[in-house]
Formats: sequence, structure tokens, C-alpha cells
Amino acid sequence: MSKVSLSKRLIVFAIAALLAVAPSALLAQAQEVEPIVIGVAVAQTSNVALLGQEQVIGAQIAEEFFNARGGVNGRPIRLAFADTGGDEAGAINAFQTLINRENVVGILGPTLSQQAFAADPIADQAGVPVIAPSNTARGIPQIGRFIFRVSAPVAIVAPNAVKQALKQNPDIKRVAVFYAQNDAFSVSETGTFQQTVKDLELELLDVQTFQTTDTDFTTQITNVLPLDPQLVIISGLAADGGNLVKQLRELGYEGAIVGGNGLNTANIFPVCQELCDGILIAQAYSYQYDSEVNNAFREAYKAKQEKEPPQFSGQAFAGIQVFVEALTNLDNRKPLKDLDLATLRAELREEIMKGKFDTPLGPISFEETKKDDGSPAGGELVQEQFYVAQIQMDPGGATGRFVFVD
Amino acid sequence: MEVFLSSYGAAIVQMALAGVLALSLYLPLMAGQLSLASPGFYAVGGYTAALLSTTVFTGYANGSYPIPLIVVEMVIAGGVSALFALIIGIPSLRLRGIYLALATIAFIEILRVFALNQPWLGGAVGIYNIPQPFFSATRIEYLLLALPLLFGAMFFVARLERSRVGRAFIALREDELAASAMGVRPTYYKVLAFTLGAVLAGMAGALNAHILNTWNARQGTFDLSILILAYVLVGGSRTFLGPVIGGAFLVALPEIILREIAGAPGLNPVIATFLRDGRLILFGVLIAVSVFFFPYGLITPELFKRRRKKPEKVTVEAAKPTPNVRGGNL
Repeated sequence: MSKVSLSKRLIVFAIAALLAVAPSALLAQAQEVEPIVIGVAVAQTSNVALLGQEQVIGAQIAEEFFNARGGVNGRPIRLAFADTGGDEAGAINAFQTLINRENVVGILGPTLSQQAFAADPIADQAGVPVIAPSNTARGIPQIGRFIFRVSAPVAIVAPNAVKQALKQNPDIKRVAVFYAQNDAFSVSETGTFQQTVKDLELELLDVQTFQTTDTDFTTQITNVLPLDPQLVIISGLAADGGNLVKQLRELGYEGAIVGGNGLNTANIFPVCQELCDGILIAQAYSYQYDSEVNNAFREAYKAKQEKEPPQFSGQAFAGIQVFVEALTNLDNRKPLKDLDLATLRAELREEIMKGKFDTPLGPISFEETKKDDGSPAGGELVQEQFYVAQIQMDPGGATGRFVFVD
Repeated sequence: MEVFLSSYGAAIVQMALAGVLALSLYLPLMAGQLSLASPGFYAVGGYTAALLSTTVFTGYANGSYPIPLIVVEMVIAGGVSALFALIIGIPSLRLRGIYLALATIAFIEILRVFALNQPWLGGAVGIYNIPQPFFSATRIEYLLLALPLLFGAMFFVARLERSRVGRAFIALREDELAASAMGVRPTYYKVLAFTLGAVLAGMAGALNAHILNTWNARQGTFDLSILILAYVLVGGSRTFLGPVIGGAFLVALPEIILREIAGAPGLNPVIATFLRDGRLILFGVLIAVSVFFFPYGLITPELFKRRRKKPEKVTVEAAKPTPNVRGGNL
């Protein structure tokens, strides 16, 4: 054997040794830090993106917050984002990408209830837990066993504002209701409001309808004012709702006003200005709620966005929190690394259903639901605390804020 | 491959349906009518299937809904759409060009607001839990229904283009006055083209109601009109292959940009974010560019003619300029 061949052999040996050692070293490292992937499928584009963007921020804050606290028993989490856009087909595509390519343990999303009816069955069939951050329609957890939500349905949130109005003025007896006829959300919400009025044994004087595109409400108001209402309940959107409030006050109404969720936005301030003052609106989330996790979330949100966190961000944070804490509970019971993905997803579903979570929304848990045919379905939210905010306008009416009352 | 199919199953099915919808707009366009009503019939078809499968054909467990029933629904949906098309088409097809387009936009708006306000159509939430024929999470199995629908529609339109009726459509498109002088009844053929398009759109809607598992007033709105028009314009409006390829291409493009290009490993995060959030800008620019450079669409009849003519030898006699027998320009 020549010298050359010896050196060649040495080189070959060295390379072989490197090849043998390097991957195992890399692999060991990879195993140590390989994060648990949680999918986030919300509307980052399209006309629903205003809500979706808030959800992205809330989820990102949750990712940083829980990773700083050690993730799932020391294993970090990673969020995989998939944009659903505003339509049903987009939601289906996003869910399929997250389930099959990102191999997520669970999904936070989608933004709209309509999208949930299209995409959630896919996750349910694949056995992937879904937590809806903002689906408020009836029947969401009933889609399937793996479907949960952290967004309380309208029927539960809305009545709190009426109760608050009664608390502020126990003499209220006579109630008038206005709603936007062409907005389905307002139509379903007014049903809840009218039921609440009946349940509280108040007198429903009159129900007036309008269109979300209307700007002149004098006819409806003139019909109602002679009946001398003490409380007016409005279900509409920001522009029409704001104008209706403005014209009610201008025409001399002085009683209490309760607004629906469509008025739950600072966008009505420029519409009714000073006259917005005093509107009561029920909330599923309050940034003023005093708890360790909410204070931390509020700080982190304010540091990023320089404003108070809205409901959508709070709910998205809560959704990620439920995943992280349920995964931690599961890991304590059965180490996650011993479970294959399908088992992990199935066990995670049970863990979410069993758990109690102290989120920025307050303490929450889930209760089992049933489909129409009686077969088991997903988890409906049990939220202990709801909040009511009252609009407070600054003199001049240029600026204002939602102040939480109790 | 398995991951690819399971991730893109729904998108591939949507590509096929986009082709059907594009053909539904192409048919009236063959007769020279710019109708944006396809999404309206698509919505009608979807609601028909949603109502039939949730209230009439009940009693099937999830995953075992019989496929023949879906075909029945598609046929009924096509019939209902045809009925709507006749009622709307006969008065509105007396309008021309931009006025017809406006009337059809009004039609889809009326349908949308109507559906939104009808409790039996589910209001804004719509009808959900539409029974599934396949017990699977990928939706790729729907190609079994979508592809026959697409190929059937393509075959039908291809044959139509060579038939007497198709030639009447094209004659109307090229010159309505001349065509009617030749004995082509304009209103009859226009309404026929409009109705045939409506049937296709209705059937696509019926199938998509099952694929989406839900149907609501957000389906088949004006946005979709514009999208379908883009399928036809980008693909080409002079041969039936144009709309089909345009539809498939424009449905796939945003998904490819979003999930493949923007998600590619090692891509600059700034570019990736732009591709993700700005993909609709990119999409719009591509449409504008393609219309600018291919004003007749990507697929034109000349593409096929040129290929067919190549092997033919040009004889010297044929190449000779023929003397102008008329003597002078006419």
C-alpha cells in the first residue's frame, strides 16, 4: 500500500467519522429544542382581517408569554400561522395545511362562525382539537367532538347589559327595542334581548326595525317616544347604531340605552360624539379584570400596540393558554414524547374538556355537548364572569372610552 | 404525494369547480352577453342542495350520504336555476352590454339580501351540517363528482360550439343585427345561452354546498362575479378551454403563492411576509399584466389552428395573389 492511499484512507475515515457523529449530534440538539406546534388559522387578509389581526397579536403574545415561562414542562411551543382569508374555502385549505403539513397538535381558529361550519368538520374527522377564538353562532361545539370555543355565544353575553341598566336604575319598566332588519347578527341578537326583557318581567312597548344603510331614524323614533320608554335597546352596526343614538337624544330621549355587539367599537364615537355618552354594552372580556395572567397580558399588549387590549386578542390569548395548559397537564399524566401524534391529539381533547383554566377572560372550563342525534359533541364554554362597559365621552365629543362598570 | 393531496385536496376540487363556473359565464358570452349572474345561480344551486340534503333526504349517517342523491340534487339545482334564468333572462336580456351586467349584479344583490333575511335559509349563519358522502378529511374524493361535471360541461360546450345553436350564438356575438337578418332569433338564443350557463352554475353550487359542508348568503356574491369574469378574461373568451384553464390557474395561484412560495424555507422574512399578506396585490397585478399582454386571454383558438396547419404544404398556386375580381376596394 502506498502512502497516498493511506492518507486517502485517513481522509475517508475522517469524513465517515464526521458523517457518523454530526447527524446524531444535530439530532440530539433537535430533539432537545423541537417545539410543540400549535396551528393558528384566522383571517389575516380580506375584509375580516381587522378581527383576524387582533387575534394574531393575542396569539403571539401568548406564545412569547408561555415560552418565557418554560412552555410545556420545558418544551417550547411554536405557532404555525395559516391565513384563512374571509371565505369558507380558504378556511378549509388553511386547516388542511396545518393538519397535514405542519402536523399541529391543535388549531386556534377560524375567525367567522360561517368558516367554522366549513372547516371544523375537517379537523374533527382528522381528530385534531380546535378552539374557536371568536365563533359566537349557535351550534359551533355541536359540529364535532374535537370542537371547543372560548367565545361566549351572544345569548349569554347580551342580557348582562340589560341587567346592568336595571341595576343603575331599578325603576325601569318600559322598554323599546330597535334592530337592523338586514343584519342577521342583529336579528338574532334582538331575539335574545327581547327574551331578556320578558324574562325580567319588563314591559316591551314597541319593536322598531331599520336597515344598516339607513341614516334617518326620525320615523321610528317618533313612533316610540310618545310611549315614554325608560330603556332603549339597539341591535345594529356602528354607523347606523351611532346615528340612531344621536337622533334619539336630539329628539329628546333621556332614558338609558343598551347597545348590542355591533356598537361595541370605538368607531361609533365619531358618529354620535358627545351623545354616545352612557351607552351600556355587554362584554366577554375586560382589560380591567384584575388577575395575574390578565395583568401580564395587558402589559404585553400595551407595550406592543400602545392601547388597551380588545376582546378578540384576549380570547385568542385564552385559546392558546388552554392548549398550553392542557398539554402541560397531559405531559404530567403521560409524557408527550411517548405519544404518537394521533394519540396526542385525542388525549389533548380529553385534557381540554377536563381542565379549568384561569385566563384573561376569567376562570373558564368546558362542558360536554351533544349533537341533535344525541351523539357526543365538543365543549361549550363555561365562563364565570361577564362585564358591562359604559361609554364615556370627553367634553366636546371628539374622544371617548369604554369604562367597565360593575 | 399523500401529504400534497391531503393538504391541497379541497383546493384541487375548487379548481375543477372554478372551471365549471367560468364555463357558466362563457356560455352567455358566446352569444355576446356580458352576464355577471353566474354567482346568483350558483347560490340558488347551493341553497337547493343544502335544503334538500338537510330536510328532504335525511336519515343518512355522516360519511354515508349516497352519491346518487347528490347527483339528483345537482339535477334539481340545475332545473331550479334554469327556471330562475328563464324568469330573469326573458326581460333582462333585452338589455345590452353594460346595462345587462348591471341588471345581473342587481339580481345577485337581491338574492343575497333575500337569503340573509330568510329564517328558513338560515340567515347570515346559513345552513350547516350538510351531510357528507365520504368519510374523509381531505375532500379530494369530491373529484369523483367534480371532474365528471367539469368534463361533461367541457364536452357539452365543445360540441355546442360546432352545432347550429353554437354557430347562432357566435353569429349573435359577432353582429346581432346581421345575425337576426339571417334568421337567427336574438332573444331566443340569448335566453338559451343564459339558461345553459345558469344550469352549470347551479350544479356547481349544489356540489360545493356538500364540499363546504355549509351554505350561506356569503356564497355567490358580487366578489365571485368579478373573480369568474377574471377566469374568463385571463383564460380567454374565444374557446371553451380558456375559461377552464383560467379558472384552475387563478384558483391555484393564490394558494401556491401563500403556502408554497411564501412558506419556502430560507426565504427572507420580509419577502415572505409580503408574499403572504400582499398576495392579493400580486394576484391583481398578474391579472392586469396578463390582460395587458394577452388581451384575448392565455388560450386562443389561433393556438390550435397554427399547430394544425403546420404540416400542410402551401402550394404555389394557393400562394399566388388572387386577382381582385371585384375591381377595387369595397
